Amino acid sequence: MKVGLSWDLGGDEPAATQWHRVIGEIERGDALGFDSAWVAEGKTGQAGCAQPAVFMTFAARRTKNIHCRALARSVVGEFPVRLAEEITLLDLFSHGRGGVAYAPASGQKIDPLMVHETIEFIRGAWATNEVRYRGKYVRFPSHTPDDAPAGLSYPAWTGEYLPQWEWGAARSTADFLALTPKPVSTHLPVYVAIDDDATLEWAARNGVSPYAGVNLTTTEAIERLARYRAIADGCGRHSYEVEAVLERNVAIDGATDAYTFGGSTHDIACAIRAAAAATRIGHFVWRYRDAAPNDLERFANEVQTKLQA
Amino acid sequence: MEFWTSFAGQFVLRGFPGAVPQNYDTLVATAVEAERLGFDGVVASEHHFEYNRFLPFPLQALGAAAAATSKIRLITGAMLLPLYDPIRAAEAAATVDILSGGRVTLGLGMGYRPMEFDGIGTAKNTRGARLSEQMEIIRLATSQERFSFQGKHYEYKDQQLSPTPLQRPIDMWFCGGTSRVGAQRAAAGGFDYWLANSDYDRTKEIVDLYLGLAREAGRPADNLRYALFRDVFVGDTLAEARDARDWFLEVYYNEHIRCYGYLMDDKGEPLFNPPFDHPAYLAFVNSLLCGTPDMVVTELKRFEELGVHSITVPPVQLELFSKKVLPEFRK
Repeated sequence: MKVGLSWDLGGDEPAATQWHRVIGEIERGDALGFDSAWVAEGKTGQAGCAQPAVFMTFAARRTKNIHCRALARSVVGEFPVRLAEEITLLDLFSHGRGGVAYAPASGQKIDPLMVHETIEFIRGAWATNEVRYRGKYVRFPSHTPDDAPAGLSYPAWTGEYLPQWEWGAARSTADFLALTPKPVSTHLPVYVAIDDDATLEWAARNGVSPYAGVNLTTTEAIERLARYRAIADGCGRHSYEVEAVLERNVAIDGATDAYTFGGSTHDIACAIRAAAAATRIGHFVWRYRDAAPNDLERFANEVQTKLQA
Repeated sequence: MEFWTSFAGQFVLRGFPGAVPQNYDTLVATAVEAERLGFDGVVASEHHFEYNRFLPFPLQALGAAAAATSKIRLITGAMLLPLYDPIRAAEAAATVDILSGGRVTLGLGMGYRPMEFDGIGTAKNTRGARLSEQMEIIRLATSQERFSFQGKHYEYKDQQLSPTPLQRPIDMWFCGGTSRVGAQRAAAGGFDYWLANSDYDRTKEIVDLYLGLAREAGRPADNLRYALFRDVFVGDTLAEARDARDWFLEVYYNEHIRCYGYLMDDKGEPLFNPPFDHPAYLAFVNSLLCGTPDMVVTELKRFEELGVHSITVPPVQLELFSKKVLPEFRK
């Protein structure tokens, strides 16, 4: 079981102090052996983190081992190519520690198909060289014709190769383009929030890792993760193809509520283990806020050890 | 006069072989080294659908550099703004500005490669007009609590940027080549103007035009700044400096110039595969400054006297440049 920490930046504390405090917490998490750090996209207030991949690129250069991931990343209003490029660069600047979890369509007030097409395009473009994509919302390159095959398609070998630098004036673009740079690993971790039924089912059928966020109650999150697993099992997909994530608040020596695992560190470890047994999650993420000064150390020493051994 | 340098690593493989992730480490290492050597800024450019080592998102690279440096300015040059949503671009700039303690400078250009517009999915033929509107939007978004904008291509009503940068507004330059059109656009918008490689006479001609047009447009020309990309090659002899220049042409510029329409012909059309004796190519080569340290200092002093704010030099002779040239401008 992997364990991570997540943050939702914003509120009244100025960004100049809040953001560097969070960077310090990520550095502490790295030193204590947490596996991942996630910063959520937020577009409200002076300290909202609208560009989490950029934020995490900074964090990546201050840390050595912790995985640096953009959380709740929107696709609405973004160019799909840029969404792919930002995660690629995060991965390259972090030496293979990058990753992303996309936000649910309902939160963005968009058709779930837009999220699905964006993820399919990004993963397909990472995995191959020249490619094109025709969808309802995503079209790459933009001049891809209406009669191109739906989804990803690839060029046929024509018997010759003309490098870009020899095109000259006669040819300035191409029907298929290679998205560059490429991430360290072709299968860079991509997750999607499973708040929406359509996305839950699509992700389960297509091998996209589910992220059950702290906005869901524990009961809802476990039910949705279990349903995801059942659908995936039903269509022959293996649990080792994906990594299911459960995010919760944690209150060490505090109270359990609908969104929080509380009690002693043993109680918290048992709650996470129970959730894992019901859902086959491989990654637990603590939405880090309002914690006591030594809670990170206690979690690392008293909870993480009980999740691993 | 300030001296900026560009990131090493954004070059073609034949001159700089190495593993892809290592290349991005080199970008950060260049910023660290440039800061140590006394350069004032480090510049990241942007291209797409090219080699696995290029930068599609310069602000993100500057975010990485911010984590490893403490005082050097972190500059995009050029960031191809028409390939962005302007608010997304402002958000990214604000993010790096906050993380770096207010060290971000935006050098913003319009781009010219059709493939990049097709790939991102935005129109090339409106890029000039959109760039001007986008820069105004970023200026408003980074300087006001809430802003509204009504343009031909963009419209915002009572919008708030989140997060807000430390610099209000964020430092910003118009990268418009060394051209009459560039000078006109920069002057009309009241933007500081960052010129492309050009010799002194051409630079002075365009700077005079820019300042004159700004005055005509009612812009306070006294406050306007102008900067210059000026590829400089230093050697103990002129021949050594020219060797350094020719190597850089071979590993970097020739491909950009000959293949992507980087230069314009005398009708203003992109020039593809120009022969090496083409007047436009020769003019470009001659615009690259070669010389002994004394010769280079003498020439650069003329730009300083012209009021140039900053010169951006390539990252290939930083140590030598810092020892032989920079001290003459720090006295």
